[in-house]
Amino acid sequence: MKYLNPILNVPTTDPDDARRRRLLNILLLGTLVAAMIGLVSIVINIILNPEVSQSETQILLVGITVFTLGIFGIYLVNRRFSGRLAALLFLFLLTAIFSFTDTPEELSNGRSLFLFTIPIAMSSLILLPQASFLFAALSSGIVAWLAFTIDHSVNLFGPIGFFILALVSWLSARSLEAALKDLRAINMDLDRVVAERTQALAESLDRERIEAGRNRAILNSIADGVIVFDTKWNATLANPAVRSMLDFPLELIIDKNFSEIIEHPKLATKSRALLYAMMEHDTQPVGFRVEWGGKTLSVSAAQVDSRHENIGTVTVFRDFTREAEVEKLKSTFVAIVSHELRTPLSAILGYAEMFKESVYGPMNEKQVNLAERIMKNTQRLLGLINDLLDQAQMEAGKLTIQMAPVKPADLLESLHSVMDKTASDKGLRLTSEIDDNFPEAFNGDAARLQQILVNLVNNAVKFTDQGSVHVKLFYPSQYKWGIEVSDTGRGIPESEISYIFDTFRQVEGTATRVHGGFGLGLSIVKQLVTLMSGEIKVQSKLEEGTAFIITLPLVPAEAAQSNRRSP
Amino acid sequence: MKELALIIEDDEDLASIFAEALRGIGYEVEQVADGRVAQERLQNGIPPFLILLDMHLPHVSGPDLLTNIIKKDERLSKTMVIITTADARMGDTYGDLVDFVMIKPISFVQLRDLTARLKPKE
Repeated sequence: MKYLNPILNVPTTDPDDARRRRLLNILLLGTLVAAMIGLVSIVINIILNPEVSQSETQILLVGITVFTLGIFGIYLVNRRFSGRLAALLFLFLLTAIFSFTDTPEELSNGRSLFLFTIPIAMSSLILLPQASFLFAALSSGIVAWLAFTIDHSVNLFGPIGFFILALVSWLSARSLEAALKDLRAINMDLDRVVAERTQALAESLDRERIEAGRNRAILNSIADGVIVFDTKWNATLANPAVRSMLDFPLELIIDKNFSEIIEHPKLATKSRALLYAMMEHDTQPVGFRVEWGGKTLSVSAAQVDSRHENIGTVTVFRDFTREAEVEKLKSTFVAIVSHELRTPLSAILGYAEMFKESVYGPMNEKQVNLAERIMKNTQRLLGLINDLLDQAQMEAGKLTIQMAPVKPADLLESLHSVMDKTASDKGLRLTSEIDDNFPEAFNGDAARLQQILVNLVNNAVKFTDQGSVHVKLFYPSQYKWGIEVSDTGRGIPESEISYIFDTFRQVEGTATRVHGGFGLGLSIVKQLVTLMSGEIKVQSKLEEGTAFIITLPLVPAEAAQSNRRSP
Repeated sequence: MKELALIIEDDEDLASIFAEALRGIGYEVEQVADGRVAQERLQNGIPPFLILLDMHLPHVSGPDLLTNIIKKDERLSKTMVIITTADARMGDTYGDLVDFVMIKPISFVQLRDLTARLKPKE
């Protein structure tokens, strides 16, 4: 068929015309092959039977040759010129040939009558559906004329049969064409839909490509280093900022596991441990610091969820070097300033005390009172500076918890020694208790625990006008212990509770001015408790009082004997 | 004879307040404001009855004086030591080596009362 197609095809765009002309070509080819076989068989016959009449054979040979040339001519007309004309010529040729293939008797009224049905049936297919009537008429005419030449009456059944056949051919050809037309219409619809869909798909692919390109461009222009990991912590995507930030060639990061990336020699050991912890526990930290090749980087990680399924983690590395330097400078500055302020204040306090104690001769009541006021204000200033210093140290991450054996009784004793006077000056009672089963000693940072207690009691005294402040050390379970500082003060409005641990709330908050102030004290308490892996809660009722409840992990102390004495 | 108290403190004002507190209850007071001078004084002079030792000193630090001189010199074995520091950590670290730790700011009255208790009864 591959080789036949170029021979059979015709140059036309009308599908009906093409179908007819192609069909004609097939018929022409078939006829040609039949003629060839006829030619070959005659030649063989001549070779095998030399005694056969020469003249008859010659007529046959000439006839077949002319026929072959005629068929070829029709083929050329069909291909180059017109299908209709070629079909008409072919059908006429067939009819003409059939008119001479037998005796007039047989043709008009005998065995060869059927030959005329061939062009009739063909005509409806290769010319026009209604052309079958034309050839039925033509064949009837020929049959009548042949009958007339041999003085026979016309066999009416022949022409009637021709017209019935023409009718059937016409109907079937017409319905075939109608069916084909419908099919073509359906096909065209289908083609149109396919074309539309293809177009839409191409457009959406284009859009997606543009979108992806835009996202990529955005990612590439971000100054922060971004690495996307799959669920097994293999890097799938990284932006160029990573290269300078981590000193790591971009092409080497892709497909690397996070654990390999953080084996980088320029990563500080302590920072590596932090990053390992992040990977192993699948935590999603925000802005923790790591030291990487002389830079301070702030690392954040977040899980990427798609359709409620975790598909990996995106980590962002931000260059925090400058900020870290500024922070360090700030905390150094605060530390120096605090120290420099504290020293003269200590002197002022000492001198004022000397006045009060009448070291250089007797003082009258007003002078003593004045000295006391100087002392009180100096102490307030000192307290604020201490808080600032602690805050600065905590911000710089310098404040660490140092564990040593602590006796709970010592904690309370030294709390009383510091705060009893403050409470009694305001007409309040400071009471304390320790749970019965409380261990005699445990591991803790005595100085920082003391600071927590003093800050909380100070705060309670500040906000209580009458009644008492009660401190309780409790022991709820084997692995926990706690501090509860409760007062009978004015309480904290619910709207304020979430702010009371904020740094510098006292200075900036408007509401706190009315109340006289939560300052750095509570913020430091909260930070210290967090440093000790504990938690702090507040329970408060307006006009009834407030309780701060701290729970801390209990680290048992084996040898709690401390040689420290205190004055 | 009055007990001798050596005040090693680089801040002039604090030193004078400490001195006043101690003199007031009958100590004989000697003041040194520099670590190196203090080192020489401790090695050569009469062993004091009491030392008030600041931890932050120029040239030779308080911890150095404490661990390398005071704790090693046989002549100073009976001397009482009070360290004075603004840093509670210092107190935690060196508290076991000394008799008392006082965290600055130090109250005049507190220092006076404490040192008065330390004086031997007459």
